Amino acid sequence: MQNQKKKLRTNKILLFLSSVKIAVIGLFLLFILTFWGTIAQVENGLYAAQERYFSSFYFLAMGFIPFPGAQAVLWMLFINLLSAFFTRIIYAKEKIGLIIIHVGLLLFLITAFVTLHSVKESHLTLREGQSANVSSSYKDWEIAYWSGAGPNKSITAIDIENLKEGDNLNFGELGLNFTVKAFHKNCQAFAAPFAGITEKYFNAVGLNILEPAQINKEPEKNLPGIILQFVDDPDNPRLLLFGGEREPTQLSINGKVISIILRHKRFPMPLTVKLLDFIMDKHPGTEVARTYKSKVEIDHDGIRREVTISMNEPLRFKNFTFYQASYQIDALGRESSTLAVVENAGRLLPYIATFVTVFGLALHFLLAAFHFQRKRK
Amino acid sequence: MKYKNQFLLSILFIVFGLLVIFVPNKKIAKPEAEHQTQPRSSIDHLQMFGRVAVLDEGRIKPLDTYARNVLLQFSGKRTFETKPAINWLAKVLFTPWNTYEDKIFLINSPEIPMALNIKTDPHRRYSFSQIEQGLAKLRQLAVAAEAIEQKERNIVENEILRVYHNLNLYLQLRSTFSFTIPHPDFTVQETAAKTSLDFSESKSDFSFLDIALKADLLNEETQDLEKKKSDIWSASEKEFMRLLRNLYQWSLNSSRGGLALIPPVYPADEAWNTPWEVARQSFSNQDIRHELGLIQNMANAYLYEQQLEFNIAAKAFNLATQTRLSKSQKKATTKIPFELFYNQSQLFFYAWIFYLLAFFLFLLSLIWPRPLMHTIGFCVLVIAFIPHLMALILRAIIMTRPPVTNLYETFIFVGFITVLLGIVTELFHRKWLGIVVGSICGLIFLSIADKFSAEGDTLRMLVAVLNSNFWLGTHVVSITIGYSGCCVAGIMGHVYILQALSKPKDTELLNSTHRYILGILGFGLTMSFLGTMLGGIWADQSWGRFWGWDPKENGALLIVLWTAIVFHAKVARMIRPLGVAVGASLGLVVVMWAWFGVNLLSIGLHSYGFTSGLAVNLFIYAVLEVLFLSVSVILLRRKNIFL
Repeated sequence: MQNQKKKLRTNKILLFLSSVKIAVIGLFLLFILTFWGTIAQVENGLYAAQERYFSSFYFLAMGFIPFPGAQAVLWMLFINLLSAFFTRIIYAKEKIGLIIIHVGLLLFLITAFVTLHSVKESHLTLREGQSANVSSSYKDWEIAYWSGAGPNKSITAIDIENLKEGDNLNFGELGLNFTVKAFHKNCQAFAAPFAGITEKYFNAVGLNILEPAQINKEPEKNLPGIILQFVDDPDNPRLLLFGGEREPTQLSINGKVISIILRHKRFPMPLTVKLLDFIMDKHPGTEVARTYKSKVEIDHDGIRREVTISMNEPLRFKNFTFYQASYQIDALGRESSTLAVVENAGRLLPYIATFVTVFGLALHFLLAAFHFQRKRK
Repeated sequence: MKYKNQFLLSILFIVFGLLVIFVPNKKIAKPEAEHQTQPRSSIDHLQMFGRVAVLDEGRIKPLDTYARNVLLQFSGKRTFETKPAINWLAKVLFTPWNTYEDKIFLINSPEIPMALNIKTDPHRRYSFSQIEQGLAKLRQLAVAAEAIEQKERNIVENEILRVYHNLNLYLQLRSTFSFTIPHPDFTVQETAAKTSLDFSESKSDFSFLDIALKADLLNEETQDLEKKKSDIWSASEKEFMRLLRNLYQWSLNSSRGGLALIPPVYPADEAWNTPWEVARQSFSNQDIRHELGLIQNMANAYLYEQQLEFNIAAKAFNLATQTRLSKSQKKATTKIPFELFYNQSQLFFYAWIFYLLAFFLFLLSLIWPRPLMHTIGFCVLVIAFIPHLMALILRAIIMTRPPVTNLYETFIFVGFITVLLGIVTELFHRKWLGIVVGSICGLIFLSIADKFSAEGDTLRMLVAVLNSNFWLGTHVVSITIGYSGCCVAGIMGHVYILQALSKPKDTELLNSTHRYILGILGFGLTMSFLGTMLGGIWADQSWGRFWGWDPKENGALLIVLWTAIVFHAKVARMIRPLGVAVGASLGLVVVMWAWFGVNLLSIGLHSYGFTSGLAVNLFIYAVLEVLFLSVSVILLRRKNIFL
């Protein structure tokens, strides 16, 4: 064992990978990225800045200079730190604080990886009295279709994240095949009654023009649009789907009514949530909110209970957490509440990593101060 | 000696340079001279009146605090004609006609008086009578400015809105007690009428309230009048009808604003009422009539300059309203004595003075180095720390929450922690390092805080997301302690550089300072890291994600990263002690950026602090800092001290 460690310590590649200089460079790159990514938010919004500077492996600065993104830098720091555990870190009693700090940091890097790949963020907007067992994505869309009506219909959905023009879409069980003729991530739609528009479309409200628009800084404001052509019958009018529509487009095929809609991606939840009451409390005599609360009834396998979700006091259920996010009051004075729904399998990881690292930091600096004081005497 | 002078000059340069940057045109608050001048009215002792509770911005506070905030908001000053703010407020409330010529409206932009056709005042302060003729124009300008989105408004547009808002508030305050002031609308001339209404024959001038209290009698006297033709009404009957009509008119037209001095009529309500509101809505309530009557007594005593009567009426009003309060409201009013003490004691001012003294003692010690000087210097620093600590405790008691919730409070809290770190350092170091750092930090942060206090009430209620004592007590406190640690290390970095410049050969001194920089920087790193991660946990608890690259989160991360870079660069032997000192000094710029620089971007979830005008100061500071460090590094290179 000892020999193996010694051997590792002389391994030149490992020694290079674990160099403290690499750590300094990595930290410095992260420092620059963090600053840059903050400033960029003013111009491009949080989402775009996050994608470009933090979630990416690299990006092109000023359009042509490749610069590492935070994901690459974090990988670099992870490899650097991991190899340091085999080579540079000295396992001695007086270094215990430092070792714990770096174990904690390793945990943070693992947390970042898990979070990046496992967190699902969505939301649930309910009017008082309404209930739901699915939440909606903020920015991702899907094409949902079903035949028949009533609460027990079976709905199928197709993810459109990677959709391209020319792709084939297959609505398996309904026996429908489409080719994607147009796909815009953000667009405006019109129903133009005037002359010159010869093309006819199947659409719930008679839309017949999709005009592509610039992609919005805030991705939740994008409204996609899709035009689909029947593969088996290209002469049939095409199908136009637009993200801004509330109602599905209905097709009557072989006597069956098929409903199709482009909507925000839905995620099933392990429970049904019913909003009983939304309460907003203000500081007396002011318009400043003191607290927001949603009284909900949750139903899991027929077992019901009442829960209050308020600011800073979310509801936890398995890997799901429900937060009070915002509220709306419509023109009729009806209140609705928006709950943020987060599914995160690694929810506890950052808590553990924080505890370990801070414990290590405190231990290290206390030991150092103690050592320093003893040396002074 | 030559080096000493150099050292001394450099330190002076830094301290006063920073003070000039952060405190332009503004002196630190002076304790108010309550009894210095000749009283113009015999009602000059208004302590009892200052105790009256009022609900303002969602908080029950003493009228004394309200008066201070409003006067500061109107005039940018804490006193008016050397008298406390409460005296000015009493004048506005009870004898508004005496305030028309008072120059209390601060207008910073000369464009505004020009637009209103007012002669510009060298002190930038104007009276109501000066502004009155341009009021319509001001309203027009305010409507136009209001239509512009907040982000897009320039300084002048903001100033127009501020002045307009202040004038409106002044008009509301002026009419708050108008029901107590005798008015021609309620004059009763006829002796027979006076007798019917139970008034003494010698008095003819009455207020709205005087007549409203006789409403039952008036009703009785006039109920049969409609059956009679008006041309056969007697003089008294005509007078009755006039009084009734005026009562009706006044209750329709009276202002709804003003001071919310009257506790809720129904205990379940939380919002307090202005006297006019209750006069209109709850006049039949016996308690309300009694309380309004006591206000009338105060007004009469004020008018006729009867100090004793005034105090008795104010006390009686306090007691009367007290009996109607709910449990939680009563609890809030128990803090009024603390707040009055906090207002009057000017603790931060005394702390500031003693920090200054401690620093001067240090400068003196450079010329006259005696052990006694050190002892005195240390004691003065501790003495300065006591009022600072007391003020923080008082604020926490008054608000029942940790004392760091807004940008102003972060300055006084960071000042507090930095001084504490200075004191602890000095206990071990015993060579002035802690005293220098503590006094400089105390001076700078209290000065900046003073600038921010001009924004109005610094004891504010919290928006929903911040309304959590647990997270305020953990995340906010630890992150601000982290700022403090990095600030102290930064100032020590400067001290190291100055020491290296003045005593390049004194390796013992330099090594000792270097070790303290490392220790404090490590403390700063630990606390910043803890604070940042606790922030992540709070975000996870209330928004559902641990980390979202929000500007404020990024700012905190920058501090952690920068400090980590300094430590790792030292371990990798990329920098020497001077490098650590320069790194710690640059850390100050990073802290300033994280602390309030990101708020300047006006994006993200944390942009709640006030920041206008700060951008330029922050930028100047960063440039000066880099300049100072570059010049120092070049000079030290010649002395064979390298980064």
